[in-house]
Amino acid sequence: MAGRESHRIKDAEKKRVLDEAARQRRARKALEALEQDNFQDDPHADLVMSKKLPKFQDSIKNSKEKKGKRKGAEYFRAKYRKTFQQLLEEDNKQKPNYVSASAPEPKKPVRHFCAVCGNFSIYSCTACGTRYCRIRCLRTHQDTRCLKWTS
Amino acid sequence: MSVVVLDNGAYTAKVGLATHDEPQVVPNCIMKAKSERRRAFVGNQIKECRDTSALFYILAFQRGYLLNWDTQKTVWDYIFSKEGIGCSLEGRTILITEPQMNFQSVQEAMLEMLFEEYRVAGMYKTTAADLAAFNYVTDSEGCPSVEALNCIVVDVGYSFTHVVPFVLGRRIQEGVRRIDVGGKALTNQLKELISYRHLNVMDESHVVNQIKEDVCFVAEDFKDAMRVHQSEERRKQVAIEYVLPDFTTVKRGYIRVPGKPREDEDQQQLVPLCNERFTVPELLFNPSDIGIKQVGIPEAIADSLKACPWQAHRDLLLNILIVGGSSQFKGFLPRLKRDLRALVPHDLEVALICPEDPVRYAWFGGRELATSANFDDLVYTRDDYEEFGLQGLLQQQQQMR
Repeated sequence: MAGRESHRIKDAEKKRVLDEAARQRRARKALEALEQDNFQDDPHADLVMSKKLPKFQDSIKNSKEKKGKRKGAEYFRAKYRKTFQQLLEEDNKQKPNYVSASAPEPKKPVRHFCAVCGNFSIYSCTACGTRYCRIRCLRTHQDTRCLKWTS
Repeated sequence: MSVVVLDNGAYTAKVGLATHDEPQVVPNCIMKAKSERRRAFVGNQIKECRDTSALFYILAFQRGYLLNWDTQKTVWDYIFSKEGIGCSLEGRTILITEPQMNFQSVQEAMLEMLFEEYRVAGMYKTTAADLAAFNYVTDSEGCPSVEALNCIVVDVGYSFTHVVPFVLGRRIQEGVRRIDVGGKALTNQLKELISYRHLNVMDESHVVNQIKEDVCFVAEDFKDAMRVHQSEERRKQVAIEYVLPDFTTVKRGYIRVPGKPREDEDQQQLVPLCNERFTVPELLFNPSDIGIKQVGIPEAIADSLKACPWQAHRDLLLNILIVGGSSQFKGFLPRLKRDLRALVPHDLEVALICPEDPVRYAWFGGRELATSANFDDLVYTRDDYEEFGLQGLLQQQQQMR
């Protein structure tokens, strides 16, 4: 039986179409990425302070200095550790506030751009809704991104 | 002792004593480099870093608000040391900026930090837009006093853009509009585009930020600019190749000049750029292009105008002050003027004022304010703090508005 597979299942998988919720989730993720400071991991994260590392004069001095002042920083981090979401929830008592200051939604129809080349686009991918402008861009899109980030 | 003026931006802090000629611009963050594993770089120490590839940023600000106090404290410790401006805050008065609509909890933290940790003698807290407006009054001849000032400040910052109207010298809080596009979003968008279309630069915030500063511009007529996709001739005008830094021979990237190659140029990595050059800053004018459900700057100004008394509209449109680092794109002003012109009544004139140095403009306003005659009345002193805490400060600000 091994090696045999159903063509019907295979085809159905190919034609998988993202529903509206998944598309929106995708769009939101892309927007959240714009707020991110770093996309890589902390380059010093795997750094283990070992005794073998040579300690230079200035680094010793630095660490001492920091120790004295650091106490304060820890205290502040503990006391004011609210996230942005928490702050937003607290803030709704009086207007105008953060939410009400947001610029209004546009009244003009939204422009669409080809996700591949950036040209104006009038078509969208049937599977995931991403915009494209011509067959060549659609092919690139299907080869690279279409349905790759679904989850 | 002279007052410390600190325009505490999300990306750079502009800081100096009120007696200084100009402020220092200090990156308001801690940076870690892949090449230098023994230390992190705070503020301007990054200038000592030779290889800034894959620079890792630790910022004190999140979504434009000061949330990571331990990071901020490290940077402030650096700023108020010999390496920074060369004096500590102890016993001094500080004039400090905060974002529009700052959260109470953040204000409280700042108050406590300044009075308890840095032992300041007094503080005056305001927004960069207020300082810019104040500087505008002292700068221009047409507007004799703060009380008579009608203007709109457009602050195009790192985390977001604010439109802040002032009528008769007072900030119209109801008219403040925020657009969630700033320098950071633009850099990230450019990063995403280059990474998808050419080569992966997702780790290179620092380099891509430089690319953005070097090549991006605002198209005066966006539709017309998009003809680069149809016409080969237009394409040639916009398309460029950007030489990426390799941090050995090329320390900073630059636009390749065809026909005049620099040394070793054929061995360097190139990124071809075309429509990215203007579609990225376009987001300031049409955030909806990437699905942010907000209008752009011109419409936001028009919307903000609606919240102001109609008698002031003429003056407001004549005094639109543009500040903030992301307003420095080439073509920003003509485009904004053109779009705004189409949105407001035709009998009202539109005039934009862009200072020579939109980044430090607010700081100079702060210096003017700190050296003005009645500054001492504005200061929230240590005695006030010990007596009334945060509530006293909030009340004082209520009364002033």
